Amino acid sequence: MNGMNRTRLRGLGVHVILMAGVVISVFPFYWIVVMATNTSQDIYRYPPKLWFGDNLLTNLRHLFARMDFFGSLANTMIVAVCTTVLVLFFDSLAAFAFAKYEFPGKKFFFGVLLSMYILPTQLAIIPQYEIMVQLGWLGTLKALVVPAAANAFGIFWMRQYTSTSVPDELLDAARIEGAGFFRQYWHVVLPCVRPALAFLGIYTFIGAWNDYILPLVMLVNPDKLTLQVALAQLYAGHSTDYSMVMSGVLLSVIPLVLVFTFFARGFIADATKGALR
Amino acid sequence: MDLSRRRFLQAAVLTAAAAGATAACGGGSASSGSKDSKNLTFWYWAGGLSDKVVADAKTHFSDITLKTSVVGGDFKTKLLTGLRAAQTAPDITGIKGEDIASFLPNANRFVDLNTVGAKKLTPDYLAWKLKQATTQDGKLIGFPIDIGPCATFYREDLFAKAGLPTDPVKVSAELSTWDDYFKVGVELHKAVPKTYLVNNIGSVFSMIVGQGTRRFIDEDNTFIGDQDHIRTAWTTAVKPYTLGIDAKINDNTWNAAIGNGTLGTELGAAWHALDISNAAPGTKGQWRVASLPGGASNLGGSFLAIPATSGNPEEAFKIISWILSPENQARGFTDAALFPTAPAAYKLPALTGGDAFFGGQKTIEIFGPAAEKIPAAYEAPADAAVSAPYYAELTSIEAKGKDPDQAWKDAVSQAKQIAQRQGVK
Amino acid sequence: MSSSPVAGPAPTGPTSGPGTGPLGQAAPDPSRGPGRRAPRIRPVSAGPRPGPRRRVLRHWPQYLAISPYYLLFSVFMLFPVLYTVYLAFQKWDGIGEMQFVGFQQFRFLWDDPVFWMSIRNTLVIWVLSTVPMLFMALVLAVLVNSTKRFTAFYRVCLFIPSITSLVAIAIFFGAVFSNNFGLINAILRGLHLSAVPWMSNEWTIKLVIATLMTWQWTGYNAIIYLAGLQAIPSELYEAARMDGAGPVRIFFSITIPLLRPIILFTVVISTVTGLQSFTEPQVLFGSDAATNPNSGGPGQAGLTTLLYFYHQAFDNNDFGYGAAIVWAFFLLILLIVLVNWRLVQRKERRP
Repeated sequence: MNGMNRTRLRGLGVHVILMAGVVISVFPFYWIVVMATNTSQDIYRYPPKLWFGDNLLTNLRHLFARMDFFGSLANTMIVAVCTTVLVLFFDSLAAFAFAKYEFPGKKFFFGVLLSMYILPTQLAIIPQYEIMVQLGWLGTLKALVVPAAANAFGIFWMRQYTSTSVPDELLDAARIEGAGFFRQYWHVVLPCVRPALAFLGIYTFIGAWNDYILPLVMLVNPDKLTLQVALAQLYAGHSTDYSMVMSGVLLSVIPLVLVFTFFARGFIADATKGALR
Repeated sequence: MDLSRRRFLQAAVLTAAAAGATAACGGGSASSGSKDSKNLTFWYWAGGLSDKVVADAKTHFSDITLKTSVVGGDFKTKLLTGLRAAQTAPDITGIKGEDIASFLPNANRFVDLNTVGAKKLTPDYLAWKLKQATTQDGKLIGFPIDIGPCATFYREDLFAKAGLPTDPVKVSAELSTWDDYFKVGVELHKAVPKTYLVNNIGSVFSMIVGQGTRRFIDEDNTFIGDQDHIRTAWTTAVKPYTLGIDAKINDNTWNAAIGNGTLGTELGAAWHALDISNAAPGTKGQWRVASLPGGASNLGGSFLAIPATSGNPEEAFKIISWILSPENQARGFTDAALFPTAPAAYKLPALTGGDAFFGGQKTIEIFGPAAEKIPAAYEAPADAAVSAPYYAELTSIEAKGKDPDQAWKDAVSQAKQIAQRQGVK
Repeated sequence: MSSSPVAGPAPTGPTSGPGTGPLGQAAPDPSRGPGRRAPRIRPVSAGPRPGPRRRVLRHWPQYLAISPYYLLFSVFMLFPVLYTVYLAFQKWDGIGEMQFVGFQQFRFLWDDPVFWMSIRNTLVIWVLSTVPMLFMALVLAVLVNSTKRFTAFYRVCLFIPSITSLVAIAIFFGAVFSNNFGLINAILRGLHLSAVPWMSNEWTIKLVIATLMTWQWTGYNAIIYLAGLQAIPSELYEAARMDGAGPVRIFFSITIPLLRPIILFTVVISTVTGLQSFTEPQVLFGSDAATNPNSGGPGQAGLTTLLYFYHQAFDNNDFGYGAAIVWAFFLLILLIVLVNWRLVQRKERRP
């Protein structure tokens, strides 16, 4: 009886600590909503307001007057979607070649992939910027999408999955029927690797959505910004009006968090697998 | 969670096609594209011009489509990067006063405004201000939007509470030297403990430097930031810190401080009035303007320029000169606290009238004489970069309690290094 | 941290256990797919060995398949990285002519106190964030692993911070830690404590940035540890318990040693991303002032090396100096990662 109580008490303690962790993780989202739905005066006040207010629409009106929110949103969507589609296509194709074929130079190419994975993007950013100037891409979304389409992690990830999850028997059968490399890719590999593509897709999408330094450098045209850059500029220029800025933060964060929570279980399992490889 | 193969293919093909198409269009626009003569892009920053005047310019020049962008973030960085390529460069752009010198070595990136009609207008504008945007071989790259004659903004109500004089004329007389100013600050802080005199000592330093005719680099491109005029400015600027009347505000809490009575005075240029009224609309009527201790000083004051890649420089300059006509400058003063660069505007009612935010005070009585007395100082292209360590070290004193003498030594040695990097002797 | 959203589920080998060969040759994964491991297919590889040229030509589909990545990579990564080396020996304002200056930029760098301060700031912020982050992550992981209820809920909630936009979170932290009207100072005031000038003191600025990073990545690391914990066979624990070992003893003599490769992985990732902090101070202390001498906050206390690099390259247009900064910094990161690696590996060798 006594031992039982102690175990139960310990179990309770575990959940109390874990709930504290959950509260800390989730609290900022709650507080962002509080700030976005109140007035700046409410935020400055002591004691501050702790519950949702009814000022969200006014804040949003001010927000839309000061920044082209939907334009930035559209730019961000375009960048994230294009990057994701290109990465999925290029990486699954290359991964198929690496996973199921032997060809001269394969080891070398794969080795390059490995060693270059550690290069930080900042090391390349000045010349990247110059290249964009020369190509006439500075200030366009292409300057973000095209470099990001080269994604070493995606090739690793897809190669791993392809080599274990695409049965060689199926490829053999397709080959006997006369299917070449690309038909095999299309008819055999793609259907098999869909779960891995889904993870890589979400991962790439979130990465492109949240990217800051590349858009900060490349998007010089003030009419063509991504959400992250536009928000940071809004914050720098209008730091007085916290509630207005927070309504923009709210709009930029909530969709992604909702989408993520929806896909969360599979995604987290995949993410840790990727890490543990 | 699953991606269907068909949809994946469709998306891939669409993206590839779109990428190809945009690449093709992009390639086209690099050569011709946006650089036509009827569509002009115009960059400035929030508060850099009167939005009403800009809106009127759009209707006034009806045969031109003027596309304005209020650029956020660091304007100079945006402009520098934008200028790198023809298709991203604006057709008309603002340049902040503190940046104009750094653009002079690259004057060929801009249209010489004298070639598009500025020559016959220049006599109507302040000569010393035009000189800031003129290269040594006489090219004019910027047309002045405003100047920044400096003054002391002060809280009349707090001054009254502390038993200090409240009338602008009396306050101006009382604050004739920096030491007088600091003495008033000590009294103010004693009477109203939560109120400080200055927001940070960097602002005091920049005012004092602006009161002299020499800055950090002289005309021979020699570093002079270790000489007496800067050292004196430094010593004076540190005084409010040692006297305990420095609010030490170096972040965005300035916005709250200006409204809640933490700051009893604020040193700033004419355009700073807009910052104050934006940050603290609730203090309307409580502020007044007095002259700056120790003499006139200029801070900022911006320009409009035409990048060399502009599609239609003649028309662009017509727009600039219209926006900056004395009448429109007077409107700019009302809307955005932009102090005119055309003296003809000083006699217009917009300037001679009272300002409700300052309790109906006729602020021209302070700013007008200050504008006339501004010393013409030589500002080298590397001046802003070389001066940065002084401000950083002054903030170190406030943030870390660093010893002022050590901070001075560090500031000078860093400034020397930056000067060397920038090619200054 | 860097731009990667989920601190890169690194696919590479630092953790390759016995089941994973070099170059990450996959261990069979029973959890999904048919997973039958047949010998590698060598299409048409029977018969006499063809000449090298024909061999290459015959594999054109494979080369075509991998070419997009290597083309993009060469143009937008490899060439730029090498060009950055070249730039570090030039003086260039981005507009005018380049001028070869030899090692001058590196000499400036060596004498530049702001550069060394930025290195110090970066290291302090990294230590202040990584140590509590990994420690708390381990605790959370052990706790989640010890219970069977709500685990899915815990995992999702703990993971959410890592996918949240860094810009949004930096703005949020700026608001909450604000000197005059932030929530934290309001709470302190409610507790009758004096307010702390979070955003203007040398140490608290670093603390705020480190807290931000800790908030964002603790859950992510906890989830990774959790996966590692779940891979430890329960028989080991049972055997230890039979031998009479208490929970603390079990933790230190079984859990920690078996988790070591994963800990190494998280240390490396946290080092690489933690040292690259840029967005946090850039957003927190960004301003729209044209010259911002206090880049990185009051006293430049939040000026990280990458932020300094960004200012020199893109604000001051001193591209040669910027290139020198970023290369010197990259070498430093490499050094620290190697030291980390050696430290943890040496411990591993110990019986």
